[in-house]
Amino acid sequence: MAAPLELFCWKGSWGLPSVDTGSLIVLAYARFAGTPLKVHKISNPWRSPTGSLPALKTKEDGSFSQPSKIIIQLRKQKYNADYDLSAKEGADTLAFISLVEEKLMPALIYALWIDPKNYAEVTRRWHAENISFPLNFVLPSCMQSRQLERVRLMRGNGTLEAGEEAEKELYSDALECMNLLSQRLGSNRFFFGDSPSSLDAYVFGHLAPILKIRLPSNKLQQHLKDMDNLTNFCSNILSLYFPDEIREGMGQSASNVQEGSEFDHEPYKRRKQLLSVLVAVAAMLGYAFLTGIVAIEHVKEKGSTGNTASTDLQIEEDE
Amino acid sequence: MSLAAEAFVSQIAAAEPWPENATLYQPLREDQILLSDCASSLAVQAYLRMLGLPVRVRCRANAEYMSPSGKVPFIHVGNQVVSELGPIMQFTRAKGHSLSDSLDDVQRAEMKAYMELVNNMLLTAELYIQWCYQNTAAEITRPRYSSPYSWPLNHILAYQKQWEVRRKMNAIGWAGKSLEQVYEDVSQCCQALSQRLGTQPFFFNKQPTELDALVFGHLFTILTTRLTTDELSEKIKSFSNLLSFCRRIEQAYFESQDRDSQSGALDYSKGPSLM
Repeated sequence: MAAPLELFCWKGSWGLPSVDTGSLIVLAYARFAGTPLKVHKISNPWRSPTGSLPALKTKEDGSFSQPSKIIIQLRKQKYNADYDLSAKEGADTLAFISLVEEKLMPALIYALWIDPKNYAEVTRRWHAENISFPLNFVLPSCMQSRQLERVRLMRGNGTLEAGEEAEKELYSDALECMNLLSQRLGSNRFFFGDSPSSLDAYVFGHLAPILKIRLPSNKLQQHLKDMDNLTNFCSNILSLYFPDEIREGMGQSASNVQEGSEFDHEPYKRRKQLLSVLVAVAAMLGYAFLTGIVAIEHVKEKGSTGNTASTDLQIEEDE
Repeated sequence: MSLAAEAFVSQIAAAEPWPENATLYQPLREDQILLSDCASSLAVQAYLRMLGLPVRVRCRANAEYMSPSGKVPFIHVGNQVVSELGPIMQFTRAKGHSLSDSLDDVQRAEMKAYMELVNNMLLTAELYIQWCYQNTAAEITRPRYSSPYSWPLNHILAYQKQWEVRRKMNAIGWAGKSLEQVYEDVSQCCQALSQRLGTQPFFFNKQPTELDALVFGHLFTILTTRLTTDELSEKIKSFSNLLSFCRRIEQAYFESQDRDSQSGALDYSKGPSLM
């Protein structure tokens, strides 16, 4: 009990404590319940003890990866944000978590990973910039195909592709879900009165990325911004429970703006240049090995001088 | 139903009244239908009966392939074909039939949330127990699912379906769960439903809603279906208010209506009765 729990999660950006919904849920729940955690914000899922993020490392029971399991573990350690809820409120929590997972999550995945423009300009770029060198070429597309597979299986539609029809279908569910959440929240500060519970963590984990990540095609964000109570709900949690991240996020975006767009991708550009030089050198070396240099090595083994031996061979063949 | 056609359909649907010869299609009741499909089918039947819309049930071995979305049940009304409870609810609402008009906004939000709870936990648990628990899959699910087909198609189709369900479980993080954990989830879900129901006759006071139809469809089917073990139905039996809720809906919408109508025997399609 004395040893602090360790939490591994995706690092943050855009003024969010983390860019990943699962990590956000766990972080928010831990703050709500007042859990002392040693948080490792990383951008390489292979460095987490379970191979995926978020992950909770405990001394006694090993490591856990799914948000629901992590919350159960935190509860076992007596950090329970749902302690004050009545039985009926507990039932409502389960129901609304299901609603969010079935209706809102597929649309969020679509917006971040499947919509081609958003994926290329925001999601893939962020991951390519933040994941360390050789992995950043492989991991984003792996993650994308996993997310696409997930949405397809969740919707029971094996041929779901990025396109108008899929977008319309997923977004109409998501907009309805946001309306329902907004109606349920009403003018309350949190879903069940004045103190936050696990439902608040789930809703926050799904809404905060929609609200904060600036996507080129942002229908979900537009709709969410129309609902004042949900927007206030998110910014309330951010300012009350994650004051540090907001300040960092402000600093980041301010400095980005100051630098301007030309210098924005300077490190990225350098790396690209370096990489293209490396590729070119490798190609040239490969070509050289395949043609000329092989012959010289061959001759060296024989122990005679290169030029004469090769010409001898040629002459023999000609004859 | 594709969304592009939806606006068009709802316009037409609103114009036409509910016909007498509406038909609901499901797989063969005796030898083929699975627990999860039976539950969905019963939910749709209960929903239509609560609205007082007549529907004739037909069993077809290839119902799954007849359905526009590949899922059963589906209804054939006039010249429209609509599958699954969600779209059917939209379809009937377009015709002016709805059970949830009297609810306020918060209640409607809660109703939708609890319906997702049933889909998310009960339906997934049914699928898990059917396809991912070895005993049930080998003894009941695969033989029943493939009963209309001859060798080798029966094996191919059954294993294909099993593979598909397992991939789904993987994607939603249920693959690592043990059977005990799944039973635990079912218990938790029933606990929530039981809490919400309390001592009321229906989930939202005196009038039945879509949620009542859905919950009845699933619980009643679980209670009346024999699996390799009856642990699943035992989980539900420990909640007495849910049991009497099922009994109440069965009496109000299945037994009495069947007694009244002339063609009762034809329409009676829910299978064995409770108690």
